[in-house]
This record gives sequence, structure tokens and C-alpha cells, in this order.
Amino acid sequence: MIIELKDVNKTYPGAVPLHVLKGINLNIDRGELVSIMGASGSGKSTLLNIIGILDNYDSGQYILDGVEIKNLSENRAAELRNRMIGFVFQSFNLINYKNAVENVALPLFYQGISRKKRNMLAMEQLERMGLADRAHHLPSEMSGGQKQRVAIARALITNPSLILADEPTGALDSKTSKDVMEVFRQLNADGMTIVIVTHDPGVGQQTNRIIRISDGIITPDNV
Amino acid sequence: MFDLIREIGQTMRNNKLRTALTGFAVAWGIFMLIILLGMSRGVYNNFTSFASADNSNSLGIWGGWTGKPYKGYKEGRPIRLEETDLQSVEHHNPDNVSSAQGSVVLDSAQISTNRDYVSDPIYGRYPDEVRYAKLKMAYGRFLNQPDLDHRRKVVVLSRANAKILFGDESKAVGQYVKAMSLAWQVIGVYDHDWEKGSYVPFTTAMMLNGNDGRLSEMMVRIKNVHNTEEGTQVEQAVRHTLAANHEFAPDDTGAVHIWNRFNNYLTNMEATNILNVAIWIIGLLTMLSGIVGVSNIMFVSVRERTHEIGIRRAIGAKPRNILIQIVTESVAITTLFGYIGIVCGTIVTGTVAKLTEGTDFLKNPTVNLSIAIQVTIVLIIAGAFAGLFPAIKATKVKPVEALRDE
Repeated sequence: MIIELKDVNKTYPGAVPLHVLKGINLNIDRGELVSIMGASGSGKSTLLNIIGILDNYDSGQYILDGVEIKNLSENRAAELRNRMIGFVFQSFNLINYKNAVENVALPLFYQGISRKKRNMLAMEQLERMGLADRAHHLPSEMSGGQKQRVAIARALITNPSLILADEPTGALDSKTSKDVMEVFRQLNADGMTIVIVTHDPGVGQQTNRIIRISDGIITPDNV
Repeated sequence: MFDLIREIGQTMRNNKLRTALTGFAVAWGIFMLIILLGMSRGVYNNFTSFASADNSNSLGIWGGWTGKPYKGYKEGRPIRLEETDLQSVEHHNPDNVSSAQGSVVLDSAQISTNRDYVSDPIYGRYPDEVRYAKLKMAYGRFLNQPDLDHRRKVVVLSRANAKILFGDESKAVGQYVKAMSLAWQVIGVYDHDWEKGSYVPFTTAMMLNGNDGRLSEMMVRIKNVHNTEEGTQVEQAVRHTLAANHEFAPDDTGAVHIWNRFNNYLTNMEATNILNVAIWIIGLLTMLSGIVGVSNIMFVSVRERTHEIGIRRAIGAKPRNILIQIVTESVAITTLFGYIGIVCGTIVTGTVAKLTEGTDFLKNPTVNLSIAIQVTIVLIIAGAFAGLFPAIKATKVKPVEALRDE
């Protein structure tokens, strides 16, 4: 099992404390292509933050690829994110003054890998995404689909346990969305575990399992 | 390290206006610091040039008039230093006096050739005067011991006078000049900033003066003294010796005038050191405005780049990586533009040095390598300091920021 969540609770403190996740139980196996769907305010984003080690949870247990994720230091969390999770974001989140190769190689910079080696590895990933000819272009010189494929290449470069995508097609037209989903399906066919958070039913349809979240609880109508 | 420099280069290019504004503030601060330090060096060099450091551990003594009656003598009696005082001062103060030398000054002497004449003073001195007076020999040699032993009639001229007397100073050595109705052979020509007098052997000058054993001045070289109290003690000990020799009251300060160059030197040094410290404080305060500017702009930059920092954190940057990046960026901006300030400052001080050459106000008001190194260290510390607080703020950026849409 790659992801194992047991009775995970999360409350945002405030004048009126907000109980967002009310006991999430969720298992995702290695090699799955899963979508997490839910309306806005359902706790979908909070769940994504917890799975992505971007945020803490209050109670319960989360085991990611055999590692218990609980009360981690900032440094340890950064290290685990770097090595275990490849992020793909809705707005691509490329650094706008770095070209494609540099963007893809950035996670390896934080592993202390030499420039020459990481650029070589980044080129390999870009070739895999069919973007070798765009390697030295800035994000502003690329189309949305190309940018998202650069982002996917960046997510893949550390050879993570899973790819975590947050509305990966949210900023793309339908044709490009299809292409990007095809990329995910292809990666999944190669054995990569992929979790896509989305509210787009079309995207959900293309995954092997849909997990619906509503009002902080997983609804048990799994396909 | 190279990666870090590339990162900085990219962010700087990405924020040209910000970089330029920050840079100007820093460059200006450093420019002012360099100018101030240069001027303070000028004043300092001027001091030390006149204080002539090699002369600093000595007492200059002249005869005066007694101010009080003593041992049956009335006040108002002239005291004249004699050659015998030299040995007795050395003999009675062996711990603090390394040597006592006499000096004869012939103020109104004329030196002439059949070409022209000069009337600067003639000094009867010892061979080591060349070192104490910081004379640089241009041609020939200075006085030596055989000159004194044999009371030779030889003379060392200044370059200016040699030029007047012979037309070409390089031809002076070996030729003869006339002074006090005697022929003197020129053995050397020296260079000095302002001294123009001529040097003859002390023994020869004593003979000329009528050989009554009287000195114009006595120079006592002192040793093993480290502060003004010890300097004053030596001064008093020497005064006691002379008081015994000439029978005046030991506390009669008018009987012999003692110029304590050592204490004088210490006081001057203290004053220049205070000046130096004051200049640094003023300079650093000027720079402070530049540093606050850098800090301010780094804060803005961190704010602008919150999303980017979030992305970096999400893909695995540790807080430490972010901290180092922001601090190094700040140090790089500060150092780069600081150096522009140093270069401009150096050009200006160099120009001022050229313009004020030969004036009494400033001497060589330029900064040397050690100041440049000190300023560099200040720059690096300042840059790190300016970047530190924005950097700490940057480390507080949560990786969740990456998910927020711009």
C-alpha cells in the first residue's frame, strides 16, 4: 500500500473552529490511478495538503510508502516531499525566470546533485515528455500543455513514490486536457501511482477509481 | 556555490529596477565611507609626515634662563648646554637613554659657489641623522663616522640647493662650495619633502663655532619607554642630570627647554586614532541607510516571491536552503554595488590626492589595500545583516503557498 489514512481529523483553529476532515479512512495501492473528487469546501484541498505533506493533521494516522507521517520537522517534511512526492499543480507553478531544463532539474538542486548531472537527468525527462526541443525555452514561451508537461517532468525527476496532481487540467482547454490525461495514463501504465484531485467529472472518468469526499467524509460509493 | 551564483544572477536580472535602486543606495554609502576614510588618511599622513615617526622616541633640549634662585645663584641666569653634558646624560640614565647627541645649527650661514649662493641653515650632525630626519640620498652618501673623527670639511646638500649652486644636482658630488670662508667638499645630495638645510659633521661644526663646547640643541634618544608617564619620568631624570651639571633647581622648567617628542607623538597618535574611529562611525552610519534600503527591498522581494518560495518549499527546499539563498542574494547585491562604490570613491580620492599634492592640508588622501579589505568585510557583514530578517521571514513561507493561485 502506498497511502494509508486511518481516521484522519483536521480542524482549522479560529474564532469558530472549522472541523474540515472528520475521520478520513483511505487506502491507495501501488500502481493505482485514482481521482479524489468533491465540491469546493468538501475538504478535498485539505486532504491533498495532508497527503502531500504540505500540512499537518490533528489525529489519526497517515502512512506514506511505509513511512509514518506525523509531527515531522520542516526539514524532514521537505526531504520526504522532495523524494517521495511529485507535485503537479493547476497553474503549473514553474519558476518564470528559469528555462524548462532548469525548472525540471530544480528538485535535484535541493538534493545537492551537481548541475551537469541534474541537467542531464532533466533532459531525459523532457525527452520522455516529447519536449526536448523546448528545453531552453522560458515558461512564458510555451503553451499551457507544454508547461504542464514540463511540470510533470519536474514531478518525475526524483523518481517519487507517487504523483500528486491538483486540478492538473484546470487551466487547460479540453483538447490539451485530454493530452495531459493521456500522459498520466501512460505513466500509470508504466507503473506510477497517480492521485489526481479534481472537481471535473470528465477527468474523474478517465481514472481507475474515484474517491468522493463530501463534508469531510469519504462517501462509500466507490466505483 | 556556482549554482547559488547563477540563481542570484537570475533573480537579479529578473528584478532589474529593484536591483538598481538597492545597488545605488549601497554604492552611495560605500562611496561616502571611502571618501571619508580617504580624507582621514590624508590628515593622518600629514600628521605622521611632520611628526616623522623615527624621531618620535627622542627629547629635544635647548638651553634657557633659570627661573628661580638656587644654591646662591640668582634667577635669570642663562644655561648653555655643553658637549660634556652629552656624556653625563648618557652616563646617569643608562636604562632609558640610548644616546645623547649634540647639534649645532648655523642659522645665518651662506653657502656659495661662483654660480650662486643659498642661505638655508647648516646643521652639525651625526651619521644616523639620515635615518632620523628621513632623508633620502639622491646622489653620493651621507656623513659617516670617519667624517666626524677627522673633522672633515664635507657637506651634504638638499636637491634644491644643489640645483641652485651647481645648475645640475647630479654633478654636485665631489665639487666644492664655500661657506664661512672655508672650502667644503660636497659628498651627497638628499631628497626631503620640506627640509632644505645642509649637513656637516657635528665635530667640524663645533670647531667652527669657536670650539667653546656649546651646543645649539641636544638630542636624547630614549628607550624602554611605553607610555606618557614613563616618557615624563625620563624627561625629569634628564632634567635632574642637567640641573646637577649646571646647578639650577631640578624643578626649574625654564632653565632648559625639553621638547618631549615621545609624549607628543603619543598624543598625536591618540588624536589621529580618535579621528579614525569617528570617521568609521560616521561612514558606517551613512552606510546604514543603504543597508536599511537593502533590507527593505529584500523584504519586498520576499513578499513578491512568496508564491515562488512556496513552490520551492513544496518540491523539497528546506528552510535552510531558502535562508541561504536570500542572505547570499543580499550579500551579493551589497558586495557588487559596494565595489562600484569603492571604485568610484577610489577614483575621487585619487583625483583629490592629485589636486592637493604639495599642500599642507592633506597628504596622499587615498585608501590602501588594508582599508579596502576592511571595507569588504564590512560589506559582507552588512549584506548578511540586511538579508537576515527578510530571509527569516522567507523561511516562514508555508509550502501550501504553492497551491494558492496568483
